[in-house]
Amino acid sequence: MTSSRFRVGIVGWGAYIPVYRIKAKEIARQWGFDDRVTDSIWIEEKAVAGADEDTVTMGWYAARSALLRAGVNPGDIGAVFVGTESKPYAVKPSSTIIADALGISAKKLSTDLEFACRAGSEGIRISVSLVESGAVRYGLAIGSDTAQANPGDVLELTASSGAAAYLVGPADESVAVFESLVTYVTDTPDFWRRDGSRYPAHGEGFTGEPAYFHHIVSAVKMLMNESGLKPSDFDYAVFHQPNGKFPLQVGRMLGFPREKVLPGIVTPWIGNTYNASALLGLAKILENSKPGQRILVAPFGSGAGADAISVLVTDKVLERVGKAPTVEELIARKKYISYAEYAKFRNLIHRNLW
Amino acid sequence: MKTYVVGSGVTKVDRHYDKNYLVLIDEAVGKTLANSGLDASDIEYLVVSTAFSESILNQADPSTYIAQNLGFRNVKALTVSSGEVSGAVALDYAHALIRSGKASRVLVVGFEKMSEYPSWVINKVYSKILEYEVEGIKNVAPSDYAALIMNDYMRRYGVSRESIIKWSIKMHENAVKTPHAQLQFTISADSLSKALRISEPLTMLDSHPTSDGAAALLLVNESVAKKAGTTPIELVDVESSVNLPIYLRDDLTYFSATAAAYKRLSSRNGVKLTTNTAINVYDTYDIYGLLTIEALEICARGEAVKCVDEMPYLNVGGGLKARGHPVGATPLYQVHELRELMSGASWVKYDGDISLAHAMSGPDNNAWLILLKGWV
Amino acid sequence: MKHSISIFWRLKDNHYKIYITKCGDCGRVAPLKRLKCPYCGSRNVEHVESRGFGELINYTVSYYRTEGSEQYLPRVVGLVKLDEGPVIVGEITDVDLNELSIGTRVEAVLRKYSSEDPNGLIYYGLKFIPVIKK
Repeated sequence: MTSSRFRVGIVGWGAYIPVYRIKAKEIARQWGFDDRVTDSIWIEEKAVAGADEDTVTMGWYAARSALLRAGVNPGDIGAVFVGTESKPYAVKPSSTIIADALGISAKKLSTDLEFACRAGSEGIRISVSLVESGAVRYGLAIGSDTAQANPGDVLELTASSGAAAYLVGPADESVAVFESLVTYVTDTPDFWRRDGSRYPAHGEGFTGEPAYFHHIVSAVKMLMNESGLKPSDFDYAVFHQPNGKFPLQVGRMLGFPREKVLPGIVTPWIGNTYNASALLGLAKILENSKPGQRILVAPFGSGAGADAISVLVTDKVLERVGKAPTVEELIARKKYISYAEYAKFRNLIHRNLW
Repeated sequence: MKTYVVGSGVTKVDRHYDKNYLVLIDEAVGKTLANSGLDASDIEYLVVSTAFSESILNQADPSTYIAQNLGFRNVKALTVSSGEVSGAVALDYAHALIRSGKASRVLVVGFEKMSEYPSWVINKVYSKILEYEVEGIKNVAPSDYAALIMNDYMRRYGVSRESIIKWSIKMHENAVKTPHAQLQFTISADSLSKALRISEPLTMLDSHPTSDGAAALLLVNESVAKKAGTTPIELVDVESSVNLPIYLRDDLTYFSATAAAYKRLSSRNGVKLTTNTAINVYDTYDIYGLLTIEALEICARGEAVKCVDEMPYLNVGGGLKARGHPVGATPLYQVHELRELMSGASWVKYDGDISLAHAMSGPDNNAWLILLKGWV
Repeated sequence: MKHSISIFWRLKDNHYKIYITKCGDCGRVAPLKRLKCPYCGSRNVEHVESRGFGELINYTVSYYRTEGSEQYLPRVVGLVKLDEGPVIVGEITDVDLNELSIGTRVEAVLRKYSSEDPNGLIYYGLKFIPVIKK
């Protein structure tokens, strides 16, 4: 299954979704939206991190699951990247906390990456290059976010919390090997957050056509051109999913039938986990895939850029699925909370702080 | 050389918003020295006990400032701080000074001002009695442990939640008859279901209140005692032991430090406690009072609830539960109450020869026993 | 609550991970990296890392308020018997108070102990949640 052409792959993966959920309709009603808005973008409910959770704690869980699945010695990991737009510290890396807590050795590269929702996938691309060059044996790329949205903004219907982690390493140890990786990046101001600002701002409709759709379509077409692959060569296509509707729409634009896109969609049940969004979709696909299947994954980050990555599943995937919680298990594990509890957990209530 | 208590005095335990620690101590010391035939200038050692003066009052070594402000001249002043057992440790130190002949007149002063901050600040201060690097840093509270211990006790012995509150009911009854007690009202088991929970199943009804207070004891040798204008009682012996942290204990319902200290004290002095012995024990939470009387071998294990009614001289001052818990002073309040009891000044008449005070930090983490005897 | 930077940093091994001290003399085990066996005082000890799984053997729902705790209350504090033997005290988080019971299987997870000062450090450490993968 593993062709000698491919030297790098995914050795382990892990997911994390907080246990708390809030119904999107409750948020809509809270702020006076016509509650049909949730159906128009296909969002049922979103995951909410608890009061004691943040990007570091969620990233830690996902990364630990990736290590459990990979079964590698943490001391052999030479790079740790955390892609996030909700760093607990403005200055001080999240990656070092996660690495120390997992027992990863001090001899490593380690940094937090920021590129809206695609910094985690950039972490994968960097890790692939590091492994390919022989600089490190394994690289750990984590996408984790407690996504912020201005209360009352339409974004609040979807902005959620979650994490995904990928341990990148030698192809012969991998559950899926990287065939092709491309990235398409421009300066497109569709969504941003200024330094010191609590919540991001966005261009509403402008986040769609010139940003999300243009960049994903361009990246995927670039991959097709360079690799000679066609939509029919893929068993699944996973896209960044700010809501349930966009990935189906972009799939259609690229000629992927609905049934190849639907299995990788997770946002309607957990919300948009930003840096974990497409990566959780990929994890869900991996957990249900068969050796030999080919998966396209195309994360998008505002600002703007998209990656297109093609992976081939190997037979090692089967034995590793059960070693840590799956995305489906994490989605099924849930407790509903009210808007008030959500506001308390996510620090939306002004309090005097000690 | 033997040690005698020839004077003792306490302030009312309360939230003394209008008094600082010096004013409280001045009152307790004045009562202590009255009729002792001694005044401040006769005191050789001023041993001060406080658990939290550094945290709450921002005052290191308050003994210096007590001496400076309250007219002690040429006194050797020092502060003892050992968590909730500070007062017992101060008494042990004073006892050692007198036994060794190093001093003949030692004034032991204990105080605490727990009401200076709101509960959410003081709760954090009080939690310092647990191990900071293990428990404090995780925000584990002393009441959490009391709740875990209560759970285990109820499960192991089939004791009901309602029966445990009998302890607190008795403490409040005793406090009503004790002028210096803080909570001078009675409670009933009916209020349990409405009581605010602290750490489930533990409620406010099971717990000590937030207390300010000061207490003093005058300890002297025999020759000074004979000249005193009051009836002395003898401070016979002090014993103590340290337990493992509760997560390392095989049995949460057994206070083995209290038990070990008692076994040593008992065999060395040939004494045995019964339900008719006057004892004054740490009931920081009612469940701790129950476990203590079991560890002191007064009641069989799992039977303490049944003993409580048969113990006429149990915490006659109302215990920590209802007299209150001005932490650094609490053991001195206990000895003061026992002295009053043994000298006929209490609300109940006691004919026994001996009495015992018990103090501990946290759930039996560090347990101290003080054995007292009437003047013979 | 503010903690000393150096104290918290030095304690990483006992809060980011669960270590167990195994006594080479009396054979008993205790949580945390310890200089000596707490049971017999021997220095002949080795430290091994726990996998972080265990069983809840006792717990309380705590309403004890301390400054900055309001976001986390009520909290569940309990004793967990680790699969490796020792008992550890810790917070059980993400739990539905009505569903929790003695015998619940739990796993250690990295969480925030506290972080109330917006300009101060965030104190991370392990708590427990009911196991996700049954």
